[in-house]
Amino acid sequence: MIAVESLRKSLRTGSTNVEILKGIDFTIHKGEFAAIMGASGSGKSTLLGLLAGLDNPTSGNVHLNGTAISYLPEDKLAKLRGRTIGFVFQSYQLIPTLTAFENVLLPYELNDESGDRKAGLERARQLLVSVGLESRLDHYPVQLSGGEQQRVALARAFILRPPIVLADEPTGNLDTSNGKHVLELLLQLNHSEGTTLVLVTHDPALAAHATRVITLSDGLVVADQQQTAQL
Amino acid sequence: MPSLSYSTASRIAARELRASRGKFVFVVISVAIGVAALTGVRGFSSSFRAMLLLRARSIMAADLSARTTQQLTPQEQAGIDNLVATGGDETQITELLSMASSITSLDPLLVAVKAVDPAKYPFYGQVVLSPVMPVTQALTSTTVAVGDDLLLRLHLKVGDSIKLGNRAYRIVATVVDEPDRLSGSFAAGPRVLLSQAALADSGLLAEGSHAARRYLFRLSATKQGNASSDNAVATLKSELETLLPEAQIADYREASPALTKGLDGATGLLSLMSLVALVLGAVGVAMAMRAHLQQRLDSIAIMKSLGAGSGQIMKIYLLQTLLLGFGGGLLGVVLGIGVQLAFPLFLAKLLHITPDFRIDLHAFAIGLGAGMLTTLLFTLPPLLDIRGVRPILILRRAVEVSDDPFTTRLVRKLQGSAVQLGAIAIILVGLAFLAAAVSDSRQVGGFFAAGLVVVLLVLLTASWLTLSLLRVFLRKTRLHLPSVVRHGLSNLYRPGNPSAALLAALGLGVMQIVAVYIAQRAVVQEMQVSTSANLPNIFLIDIASDEVEGVRTLLMHQPGIRGNPEILPVVSSRLLSIDGVPASQLKLEHLPRRMLQSINLTWPPTADAPPPGDDIVEGKWWTAQQSADSATHPLVAIEREEAARLRVHPGQQMTFAAQDAQFTATVAAIYEPDSRHTFSRAGFVVPQPVLAGLPVVWYGGVHCDFSATALLQRSLYEHYPTVTVINVAATLETVRQVILQITYIIQFLAAFSIFAGIVILASSIAGTRYRRIREVVVLKTLGATRPRIAAIFSIEFAVLGLVAGLVGLVFANILARLILLHALHFEYHFQLWLNLGAWFITALLTVAAGWLASYRILGQKPLEVLREE
Repeated sequence: MIAVESLRKSLRTGSTNVEILKGIDFTIHKGEFAAIMGASGSGKSTLLGLLAGLDNPTSGNVHLNGTAISYLPEDKLAKLRGRTIGFVFQSYQLIPTLTAFENVLLPYELNDESGDRKAGLERARQLLVSVGLESRLDHYPVQLSGGEQQRVALARAFILRPPIVLADEPTGNLDTSNGKHVLELLLQLNHSEGTTLVLVTHDPALAAHATRVITLSDGLVVADQQQTAQL
Repeated sequence: MPSLSYSTASRIAARELRASRGKFVFVVISVAIGVAALTGVRGFSSSFRAMLLLRARSIMAADLSARTTQQLTPQEQAGIDNLVATGGDETQITELLSMASSITSLDPLLVAVKAVDPAKYPFYGQVVLSPVMPVTQALTSTTVAVGDDLLLRLHLKVGDSIKLGNRAYRIVATVVDEPDRLSGSFAAGPRVLLSQAALADSGLLAEGSHAARRYLFRLSATKQGNASSDNAVATLKSELETLLPEAQIADYREASPALTKGLDGATGLLSLMSLVALVLGAVGVAMAMRAHLQQRLDSIAIMKSLGAGSGQIMKIYLLQTLLLGFGGGLLGVVLGIGVQLAFPLFLAKLLHITPDFRIDLHAFAIGLGAGMLTTLLFTLPPLLDIRGVRPILILRRAVEVSDDPFTTRLVRKLQGSAVQLGAIAIILVGLAFLAAAVSDSRQVGGFFAAGLVVVLLVLLTASWLTLSLLRVFLRKTRLHLPSVVRHGLSNLYRPGNPSAALLAALGLGVMQIVAVYIAQRAVVQEMQVSTSANLPNIFLIDIASDEVEGVRTLLMHQPGIRGNPEILPVVSSRLLSIDGVPASQLKLEHLPRRMLQSINLTWPPTADAPPPGDDIVEGKWWTAQQSADSATHPLVAIEREEAARLRVHPGQQMTFAAQDAQFTATVAAIYEPDSRHTFSRAGFVVPQPVLAGLPVVWYGGVHCDFSATALLQRSLYEHYPTVTVINVAATLETVRQVILQITYIIQFLAAFSIFAGIVILASSIAGTRYRRIREVVVLKTLGATRPRIAAIFSIEFAVLGLVAGLVGLVFANILARLILLHALHFEYHFQLWLNLGAWFITALLTVAAGWLASYRILGQKPLEVLREE
């Protein structure tokens, strides 16, 4: 469960203070697929960052499964994030020096406490197979196409079976067919893994797949609607 | 294509500079540190060296001296006048033995008279009198200054008068120190110092007197107020040698070989340090500019996609580079001035040197030029890379992977890099040119420039090879390695990560820093030996055979005596012939023929070995058996310079006469004496049996603490009134102090160069930090803690440090060995522990620098970076 209360964020650029989020409240329940929509500059990426604890809010708080995360110490937050949240970024954010397989395995290596390395290796392989990259395990990111890189990122996001997956314009850098493929995989994985999915997009077609759409405008929630997801 | 105007280009360049000030400040600082190190070290060392050269000349009180026993002929005098007319100066010193007495007692005493022209003498250094007064005031036509042993022996005090020749002179002061005490003659008897005018009045210079004359020369000072160059000294020396064939001509370098060697060592080292500062600065600039241009790839791609040509973009970045180079250079020069101003303050406190420091404009011009030139030179390859940047970069930051065979790729790469290779060649030529401008020692500069090319190539190859091997290792072991190690090693192959360049830069830096350290250590150690406390500074002349043991005992029990006194026997003789050629017909090299009439022979303390300190340079020393047989088959060993003057070599026959005895000895060996030993005062050594039965006088030498010399002199006079004591403690103390100062300065400047080098290398490492930011952020997003990220980076940096350290150390030892043995003529020894220590420190510092540079990005909030996407 994600609970957001009175979340504010302002940035100082030079002498001016820009208020990006002006007090936001909402709760996303377990298993929900929420799309956060809004025009460019409406504050949706900032909100996603705050949901994941990638930045501190100016005021207010974010609770992940009952834990207030916004003011946790850096390393504690990193650990919590690693175990709780899977990420999919618009620009993939793969580590260029690691192979596709190693990139998927990375969160496992960073966060797993079971010590069962074999299970991690198997899970990484399985996920890459499920995104159709079984022949690309040892390729480096630069050797993969954009669609392939995003599929590696998807597999990486799910490796630890995180209760929450946050996706920031996951198809934004891809062509229509690749975008569609990635979205299908994301929904499929979300479905099979039973995660809560929060997707940031400005694309109504993408948001149409969500069960709930939260619309931001000028730093405020202007609409919050449940809907029947398009399949 | 319409060309971009310079004003537009500079506007874009300036805008970019303003937009990311932080990153550019870093580049500017890198350039500035390099330039500051160069100007600071060079400026300071040139000031310091100028001062040292003046101090070295004070041991002779001149640039050159010519010693002769004859009055100059009018032609010779005219020749000398002619030589000095073009600039420079000359003064005459007359030295002779005479009798002096108190005007009340009339007890005569043999004294060593030295007459000078108070208006000119000394050209360098200072005559120290007690009470303190200038020479011009002390030495009038009716006054003299005397050694305090004269006062002691004649029971006089300052203010009394002595009779010298047919005149009485008032004693106005005692002579505490004469700068040229070491290069004057060591005559028996206390010193009487007076003016030429006073000597002329005394009537001592009557026809046939045995006065020796020393002509001191000073070359005209150079424009900057520095001492004249060694070349000018050498030229004048050879001119004087032609003009005065009978005279012994010596330059200031010969007055104190230990000091000269120290000075040469210091000069070479300071040149080396300047060069090191230059190259390290260049490395800093290169790494900073490389990182900077890598960062600008996106902007370049955008501009290209908007239709800008490579030439236009290069214009923008060329202007930017020049601006950064100029800014950095200027800041560096200002820092350099600060360093130059701070050094003297520091030195004045620590070493009590107050040299005449001035802002060395030449050093600053070189510094600024070097900053600009190296910035430009080292940014040439990345600037030329602009041509290869494709606009597609803005859409897809990917490197194309080719499946062509290696050779095809290599050939294509070489073809594509022809311009870059050309640029590298220009860089090397430019650096060699700068090295020549910076280096005062051409030899060091030569080694350096040639070595740099080879070393850079080898370092790059070694770096490339090591990285390739590591990569193979990584591929083979990949998933079996702990993930931190795997990740750390993989980082070395980060796309665009300049690992090979960084390795080469680090290796080069380590090489130079360690070479400076090894070289300065060797020079300092050897110089410290030459300032050892056992150098004899009190010489005893005319000890009778029956006094030897008594004098030895007295010396050993006297306070302030260091080491064992050396006492050597001397038998006076004459050289009659060499290989049957009579002395009167011998061809001599700058040796007055009269000197052949007074040749001092000695025998060594051990029958079958040279006297302490003497090194054989030609021939072989005699065995115990040859020594025992020497009464029938005499042998002789000759000091190198004497041998050169007499033109003799081992195997030749020399006939000597002592008293009524005559013997013909075979030259067995030529040796180099060691001025630290009293035996260096004798030029001819024969086995003891050769001199059996001949009258012997003994000479002694011992080291006495400066403060205890007066007491020693009194004590000796009390017990052995006929023994003359020559006290050179004050002069030797000057030499020792200067050498010590040289060693301090060398160490200090080496420490400064090493520190600056480390800072530059650290900043090169730090320059790669922008590449890491995104990685840190992704890792954090995926749940990595800071210690974990730090561990990954530590492994990357440790590998870099260890590889660069190893390669750098190998070359550091090669470079130090070359420079020490062939350029500076000092000894080189491989030091295992020093190298291991340096290796460890390199790895440690690399990790520390990487850490420091990454510390801030470790704390950065991920969203700040992700938002920039």
